[in-house]
Amino acid sequence: MATHQQSQSPPDFPAPSDEKSQIPEVTKPTNEVQQASIVQETAKQESLPSVFVNSEPIREDQIQNAIKFLSHPRVRGSPVIHRRSFLERKGLTKEEIDEAFRRVPDPAPSSQTTVNSQDGQQVVSNVQPQGQIQAMQPAPAPVVMIPSPSFYSRFRWYHAALAVGVLAASGAGTAVFVKKSLIPRLKSWVRRVMLEEETDPLKKADAKPSLAEEAVAAAKAASAAASDVARVSQEMMNTKTEERKYFEDLTHLLGVQVQEMKSLSNNIRKLEGQSNNIPKIYSADQEVYAGSVTNPAARKPYANGSHIDYDTRSARSASPPAPPSDSSMPPHPKSYMDIMSMIQRGEKPSNIREINDMPPNPNQQISNPRIAPKSKPWDYGQAPQDESSNGSWWQQKNPRSTDFGYETTASRVISNQNETNTMEPAAFQRQRSWVPPQPPPVVMAEAAEAIRRPKPQAKIDQETAASDDQSGVSDELQKITKFSESGGDGSGIVQITEIQEETEQQLSHEGN
Amino acid sequence: MPVFKAPFNGYSVKFSPFYESRLAVATAQNFGILGNGRIHVLELSPGAPGVTESISYDTADAVYDVCWSESHDSVLVAAIGDGSVKIYDTALPPPSNPIRSFQEHAREVHSVDYNPTRRDSFLTASWDDTVKLWAMDRPASIRTFKEHAYCVYQAIWNPKHGDVFASASGDCTLRIWDVREPGSTMIIPAHDFEILSCDWNKYDDCVLATSSVDKTIKVWDVRSYRVPLAVLNGHGYAVRKVKFSPHRRSLIASCSYDMTVCLWDYMVEDALVGRYDHHTEFAVGIDMSVLVEGLMASTGWDELVYVWQQGMDPRAS
Repeated sequence: MATHQQSQSPPDFPAPSDEKSQIPEVTKPTNEVQQASIVQETAKQESLPSVFVNSEPIREDQIQNAIKFLSHPRVRGSPVIHRRSFLERKGLTKEEIDEAFRRVPDPAPSSQTTVNSQDGQQVVSNVQPQGQIQAMQPAPAPVVMIPSPSFYSRFRWYHAALAVGVLAASGAGTAVFVKKSLIPRLKSWVRRVMLEEETDPLKKADAKPSLAEEAVAAAKAASAAASDVARVSQEMMNTKTEERKYFEDLTHLLGVQVQEMKSLSNNIRKLEGQSNNIPKIYSADQEVYAGSVTNPAARKPYANGSHIDYDTRSARSASPPAPPSDSSMPPHPKSYMDIMSMIQRGEKPSNIREINDMPPNPNQQISNPRIAPKSKPWDYGQAPQDESSNGSWWQQKNPRSTDFGYETTASRVISNQNETNTMEPAAFQRQRSWVPPQPPPVVMAEAAEAIRRPKPQAKIDQETAASDDQSGVSDELQKITKFSESGGDGSGIVQITEIQEETEQQLSHEGN
Repeated sequence: MPVFKAPFNGYSVKFSPFYESRLAVATAQNFGILGNGRIHVLELSPGAPGVTESISYDTADAVYDVCWSESHDSVLVAAIGDGSVKIYDTALPPPSNPIRSFQEHAREVHSVDYNPTRRDSFLTASWDDTVKLWAMDRPASIRTFKEHAYCVYQAIWNPKHGDVFASASGDCTLRIWDVREPGSTMIIPAHDFEILSCDWNKYDDCVLATSSVDKTIKVWDVRSYRVPLAVLNGHGYAVRKVKFSPHRRSLIASCSYDMTVCLWDYMVEDALVGRYDHHTEFAVGIDMSVLVEGLMASTGWDELVYVWQQGMDPRAS
């Protein structure tokens, strides 16, 4: 309307100045362009398939955000499907995502095109391996962490055992060596002493004092040797006690390690049980993205019945959807938890049978259909064919009135002039027997008239003339029109009830 | 209202589009974690006991979903936990069944839906992130739609446009597809958490509802998809399935891990118009009959299948 007015304005002005004439002229072509594009758009929307297509223009601000996201080093290390999924969840359209992907590796000089972008990517990846490693590390960190303590502890245990063995061997070796070296040492020492004693007495004279001296010397030597032996044995005892102490320490450490491993495995089990509580919080881009990247890693063990090693599927979690963190997990039946824990332990429930469910004849002919396909209640021109049958419990209509927003449906029927609504009046008149609360009757009457007068009624007449079920509908409609024309006396509720009762009577008449 | 007790935990229930007294139930042993599965075909009868089993088929793995063919009245398609899609013909003697088994999905097939307009093809949605298009007479899938970043929980045909369908996925997006296009035509980030189910409005071909782990149901118009038409709160836990009524434009039925089945009218301010708490475990399957207005069925992990008229108490006898 605005464009129309603007295009009309120049003739309205008795003496248009240059400016004024220029402005409308300038705006006129743009308005025409706008009009043309609007016409185009409406034409597009009217052709059915395009309704299910994004008709929004590409939003540059969204693309800029996406480019910032995609340029982040951590994001660059992640698989493309995760990046796309993240952007989709943020509400970007396919075109916007494709455009962002196209632009991201593009450096500032735009003359060098995709070749440079590929090189740039490679250079970036070479220059920033640390960045990537860092990017990868937090992602696999939670996964790696779980086996690493066990690995680490295993390593320490092994190391400890090795150390004990080495120590024992070395202790034994030194003992043997010492013994082996001690005895010849003693012997040589004694011999030396003897020799000295021999030479010494030879120098002096063979006299009793020499004997005494010899004896003294020998005694000295013996005591010295004995003290030596005592010392060495004492040392050996010390080393033995030290070794024993060391050994005890080691066993104690091993016990501590075992305790740690037990607690770790308990924690792991607890975490597996809660692993579906991984939230998807959109606080900051990177945190969100890290969360979403780790989630697929967590998905496989979760879906595989919480096996830590990602082997072939032995069981699945029956409720893979992850609930939000602010709500607790819905209480699963006790036997469900029993089965889950059984499967986690690796046991198979005993009630599973071997069943061969392969087709015995893969080329088996499908039997011929015995009934023609029925049209749906939402297709034009035909209602469900259960109206004629009676008596079965599943066809008894609902007598209670309070369950449905029936008034609203009725008002929608009246206000909407769509083609699809032509079936609604027929359907709703047929079954209801309860009383909906009504707006003022005058309004109803006028609206009812307005609807039933023009072509929707004619349409109904056309379409329903063919089928038997519908033959009464046009009669009913005419009845209603007449009734609403005559009934302006304020008893709107009574009106509708009576309409319905009448239609039901009509139906029962036709049925009989 | 009749109740059927199945030996295994219920997963899905579907009314036949040909016979108003017939429905199929998909069940899985051990809650679908690990074990066999079974498909039951039930018949409603006027007298007691109200619902009886006419035939059942055993499968090696869990049956997560079942749907009836729209072209052949005796044929149903089952989505199996071992990734296979099996076709059964109830008109043939039991030893001849299944008549087909397609093994293409790499992971569990979570849903199957038959095209109600063209009646010649069906879709399967799988935890291997893909949706596949099949025809019964072809030995392999016709198309594979691979765009989702996580499990696809449901793929549903548009009731008016035979080439358009929607898929709900654990990657928190709802995608609209057209089989004539190579990829998805719309991506709607419908929820902040996994989307477990979606369904089209039968009377407004641009409106659809999604249900999510975040306990809400959102109703969307694809023409202005940035903001939902309505957000339906009321369930206490994740909403497992959502279904638009085949007879009433704005009526939605939903079932949830809070063990209730709820009815909603999304055009009304106070949208919750009905609540049934007949199940004693997760309610995971729901259907509304196309042939009989107001007839509903639900199933859950309590191994029970209830069939009742809206407004009645499902447990009344």
